Amino acid sequence: MDILDPLRISLLIASAGTVACIVLGTPVAWAIARSRGSIAAIISGMSLLPLVLPPTAVGYYLLWLLGRESPIGRFLLDDLGIQLVFTWPGAAIAAAVVSIPLYIRTAAAGFEQVDEEVLMAARTLVPPWRVFTFVVVPLAWPSLVAASLIAFARCLGEFGATVVVAASIPGKTRSLPAAIYDANLAGNETLAHQLSLAALGIGFVLVSLLTVALQAAVRRERP
Amino acid sequence: MTGVEATLALEAGAFRLDVALEAGPGVTVLFGPSGSGKSLTLRAIAGLLRPRAGRIAVAGRVVFDAARGIDLPAHARGVGYAGQRPALFPHLSVGGNVAFGIRDAGGADRARTAAEWLARLELSGFEHRRPASLSGGQAQRVALARALAPGHRVLLLDEPFSALDEALRQGLRQLLAELVRERELAILFVTHDLREAHLLADRLVVIDRGEVLQAGPRDEVFRAPRQRRVAELLGGTNILAGRVVERTGAGLRLEIEGWEAIAASWHGDPRPGDAVDVVIRPERVVIRRGEPAAVNTLPARVRREFDYGTNHTLEFEPLAAGPSLVVDLPSRPYDVLGIAAKKEWTLELPPTDLHVMPAAPPRRATTQ
Repeated sequence: MDILDPLRISLLIASAGTVACIVLGTPVAWAIARSRGSIAAIISGMSLLPLVLPPTAVGYYLLWLLGRESPIGRFLLDDLGIQLVFTWPGAAIAAAVVSIPLYIRTAAAGFEQVDEEVLMAARTLVPPWRVFTFVVVPLAWPSLVAASLIAFARCLGEFGATVVVAASIPGKTRSLPAAIYDANLAGNETLAHQLSLAALGIGFVLVSLLTVALQAAVRRERP
Repeated sequence: MTGVEATLALEAGAFRLDVALEAGPGVTVLFGPSGSGKSLTLRAIAGLLRPRAGRIAVAGRVVFDAARGIDLPAHARGVGYAGQRPALFPHLSVGGNVAFGIRDAGGADRARTAAEWLARLELSGFEHRRPASLSGGQAQRVALARALAPGHRVLLLDEPFSALDEALRQGLRQLLAELVRERELAILFVTHDLREAHLLADRLVVIDRGEVLQAGPRDEVFRAPRQRRVAELLGGTNILAGRVVERTGAGLRLEIEGWEAIAASWHGDPRPGDAVDVVIRPERVVIRRGEPAAVNTLPARVRREFDYGTNHTLEFEPLAAGPSLVVDLPSRPYDVLGIAAKKEWTLELPPTDLHVMPAAPPRRATTQ
């Protein structure tokens, strides 16, 4: 057991999980930020669910959903030949589910800051997708970057849900947090210490980047 | 036709909007107090909010029809829109802002069109400036250029000058009036500023509490309001309670607080004995220096006066029976007549300026 394998797996899980958060979370965040309807309120509330559940419970449900017992899992396995349980993509899905509430909250806060009158002017000029791409995203980008960094960090640290879905198979699904847990359990103090130090290093970099992004977001609010 | 035809109904909280209006070539001013539903109407026409019911046509093309399920998105309605604030895109250059809505053109063409519009709005060479570096008046002109650049002939303007100071406003109003003539635009212009409404309007639509009270050519609406509320909103400070005595060939003989007068303008079908509201605008009352006219003279004395620099507002009370009247007089005639020294005058109310409406019970103040 060394440091590089868990580090590589963790970065893989976190990157894939963050991409999933961006792709799935951005439209939801936009919907929450722009609509005042009750459906948006319900979606907004539901999106918080993974945040309040124990990650192991999230993992348990995902294990069922992606496994052979559920229709989705059966379809993936039998018809598409995709095995997600006990693989790093499965771990990435689990990490994304746990992280997406944080992404949605942060991105929605950024979208809410976009000036309503600027949006109205844009809507009379170009189609909605161009409004979003060329006005909303450029104006909300510091918040979107911050949201992505938070999601990445949360994916990187995710342990409970990922370990239930993907277990901790050395070289395959053993991520940094799982490796620290295992090393500690095995009494390997040195390895646990080295792995934790690596996590601390990454954490420091992420926090620095996040600070920069959040400051940029605040500057956007008060030009 | 170039222009807008709209019938629409919508609810926003407890507020109900139910209006029908037309805006042809030239400037149609949608005039009303704040909270009357002007901006909601404009936004519904622009496609920025969806009415519950109604039909909207722009330049003869139906862009919204609740009954037929037609609801074109804002960008496809063929209208330019500018609001109270310039709301420029802060991340784009001035040129980028103006070019933003220009479609079906290459980058060079878009830039050229944008530059032409900027030049027309007296902002040549501003293409590469950032919106944050502009003054309020410059930013508002960029917003106008941005709304006009896609080539729409119908423009919806929601109090676009209200955040600017008076000198800037004056310049922009004149610029807008020139553009209307030059490009044959149809503009629906929302304002609660009476002077602005009068200066810009070809047609006037008076809106209050979510409904259209009166619409028509500007001077007709100003001179001949249909009801007391319209007269009030349009600054008709002299609204007098009277009674019809007799209908003659020339007009209506009225009794107003024990004083007899002839009116040559009325709305509806007033009959002898009817209670009526009689309005005369403060700037239409004549202060006689020489021999008095034959009709509608009222000896009166200045009770209070206010000096606004360019004009004086005088409050007259009658020497005998009759109504109190407010008279607006430019500074020069005020000096020439010597009103500072002499306080007793004979007022003349020309019959054509005395307008009669069916009496309405006074309403409470409506501004929210």
